[in-house]
Amino acid sequence: MSDKKGGIDILDLIKKVLFTDFVKGLRITLGYNVSKSITHRYPDEEKWIPYRRFRGVHTLNRDEHGRELCVACELCVKACPTSCITVVPMEDDTGRGIADRVAKIWKVNLVRCLYCGYCEDACPTRAVRLGREYELACADFKCTVRNREELLLPQPVPESIEGGLVAKAKFERSLSGIKVTADLSATKKRAW
Amino acid sequence: MEQLFFYIFALVAVVSAVLVVSVRNAVHSAFYLIICLLQVAALFILLRSPFLAAVQVFIYVGAVMVLFLFAVMVLDIGKEKTKEFIHSQWLPAVGVIIALFVMIGYMIKRGKLSASLGIYNEAALAKNTEVIGKTLFTQYIFPFEVVSLLLLVALIGAIVLVMKDKGRARKNNGAGS
Amino acid sequence: MMIPDISTVLEVVLIAVKVVVVTMILFGLPLPLTWLERKVAGHIQVRLGPWRVGPHGLLQPFADMIKLLMKEDIVPDRADKFLFTIAPLLAMVPAFAVFVAIPFGENIMLPVINKEVSLYIADMNVGILYILAISGLGIYGIILGGWASNSKYSLIGGLRSSAQMISYEISISFAAIGVVMLSNSLSLVEIVKSQGGSLLHWNFFYLPVGPVWCAIFIIGSLAEINRIPFDLPEDEGTLGAGFHTEYSGMKFALFMLAEYVAMVSVSVLTVILFFGGWNSPLPVPLPIPPIFWFVAKVVFFIYFFMWVRFTLPRYRYDQLMTIGWKILIPVSLVTILITGFMRI
Repeated sequence: MSDKKGGIDILDLIKKVLFTDFVKGLRITLGYNVSKSITHRYPDEEKWIPYRRFRGVHTLNRDEHGRELCVACELCVKACPTSCITVVPMEDDTGRGIADRVAKIWKVNLVRCLYCGYCEDACPTRAVRLGREYELACADFKCTVRNREELLLPQPVPESIEGGLVAKAKFERSLSGIKVTADLSATKKRAW
Repeated sequence: MEQLFFYIFALVAVVSAVLVVSVRNAVHSAFYLIICLLQVAALFILLRSPFLAAVQVFIYVGAVMVLFLFAVMVLDIGKEKTKEFIHSQWLPAVGVIIALFVMIGYMIKRGKLSASLGIYNEAALAKNTEVIGKTLFTQYIFPFEVVSLLLLVALIGAIVLVMKDKGRARKNNGAGS
Repeated sequence: MMIPDISTVLEVVLIAVKVVVVTMILFGLPLPLTWLERKVAGHIQVRLGPWRVGPHGLLQPFADMIKLLMKEDIVPDRADKFLFTIAPLLAMVPAFAVFVAIPFGENIMLPVINKEVSLYIADMNVGILYILAISGLGIYGIILGGWASNSKYSLIGGLRSSAQMISYEISISFAAIGVVMLSNSLSLVEIVKSQGGSLLHWNFFYLPVGPVWCAIFIIGSLAEINRIPFDLPEDEGTLGAGFHTEYSGMKFALFMLAEYVAMVSVSVLTVILFFGGWNSPLPVPLPIPPIFWFVAKVVFFIYFFMWVRFTLPRYRYDQLMTIGWKILIPVSLVTILITGFMRI
């Protein structure tokens, strides 16, 4: 069909008669058909462990002595574009934090949060970080707000693991809800 | 057994044929016409003409009626429904129908409407298709060719009509591309 | 009233049994076929397809079936209730009726009653014509269903379907005529028998016209059963779901059933007309029953149709008409001339 002036392109015609393009297409799809699938069998058998750069649920960190890094400066509140973080500071000299000003309340509304990471940029002590947890589905609104106590708990995926892996996982149902537990000792690189 | 089937098919055919002209919805009419034509095909099978039956289904039910529906489907059924559709012609119509029935009855009574099988017995009729093909291309070759010529003329005529319309449309649009 | 003797009774019983068996198989077939179609779709798109219901998703069709049975059966307001209800049946019955004339294998001896049984319901003198005629009737379900839904999308789907069917039935019939010229019979049993022997006796390998007829037949059939690349009547991109937009529950399931049975019948016909039916491709010393070859070839073609579905995009409507009228019909006219010369 390229040039109509030069009459019928013989080669083009032969190609059309022999369905060359069609056969090529069939060959490609057949190749994909017999190739290995890239689907993760989440949540039944596998779970994706994201890279460190991943921006999931917030975490609050401690220093090496176990003191909270957060000084309740409220910079994260100012930086947050969706106003999803609430911080109430208080005086404390029992050594809970690295300074004598700690957070009485530090909570984040995960439904409002857009996981932009501005809070971790704003944090002067690197106390707030976006972690690697991404299973946020739950059955009522209570669990959409995470409090200081929950955020201070250690991460399920430790910082030492680089991520970008597929781990063996188990899907558990119970009355309290559903959970996918990953076995971090049995991991493999992703298939593609 | 065969008579039973004949009566079933004939009854359905007559009932659906009456429905074709009596229902007010044109698509329903077409649907009943399809049923009627299928019954006629079944009657052809009872008459030992499977070829005619298949062709009846193939051409009338399979192609002609599809075209019918194609045209009828885009009609505004709501408007057609409310229209008077007997046009106060029922008196002459009933007269003609009665005359037709009387004539058919007379013909049947006189035996004018039945023909003998001739050289074709049951066994020869099993090869129905070959018999039709042979007669068509030997004994009736002239009418056959005339019919095919007519169809060809109709075909060309249809194309010419469409082409003329196309040219006029282009002229009306001014200098079309 | 004459008293029927024992062999007549046996004959009638056998026919009844055969009809029931074929119908049951056809009713059951869409279950594995939907699973297979989704698996093929998944793997061609480097996914897994159904996985979670049963091992490898094998129970997925049953889950779907339960869902379709439990769904509310909606009839749209101001729809034509009579035609809306009857349309799925009109689509389904012809799809099943095609199998009356289809032979599945050579005659076999039944061991207990010691009687030779043919593996077809009826060997018709006009078998191929019957199949073309009946399979053309399936279109009424689509047209009337589309019209009766009182929906724009459905109506356009129905209109497209009727135009498409008229255009492509001509070339399919020409392909069938070509096969009749090659095999000298209208009966499907005779057509299969004429291709006996080896691979080279198959109609497909009757060079140079065999492959052309086969291509015309397959392209035309794809259009006739509304599969991609010719699934304009149910074009999701522009028509919602086409003629079955308004259908739900069991009525929708009947349309799907009809579609899958039609796909099986087209595969079966391709095998019978062009690929030697139940004849084995090469003489093998092993005692393989002919029905095995038949089923193997049919499964291949079913896979082929799914494979094509996930390879090609959908044609535009004008392209569809161009292929039908300007390519397939002239090509079949020329091929019929060549076939005629070769058979003199």
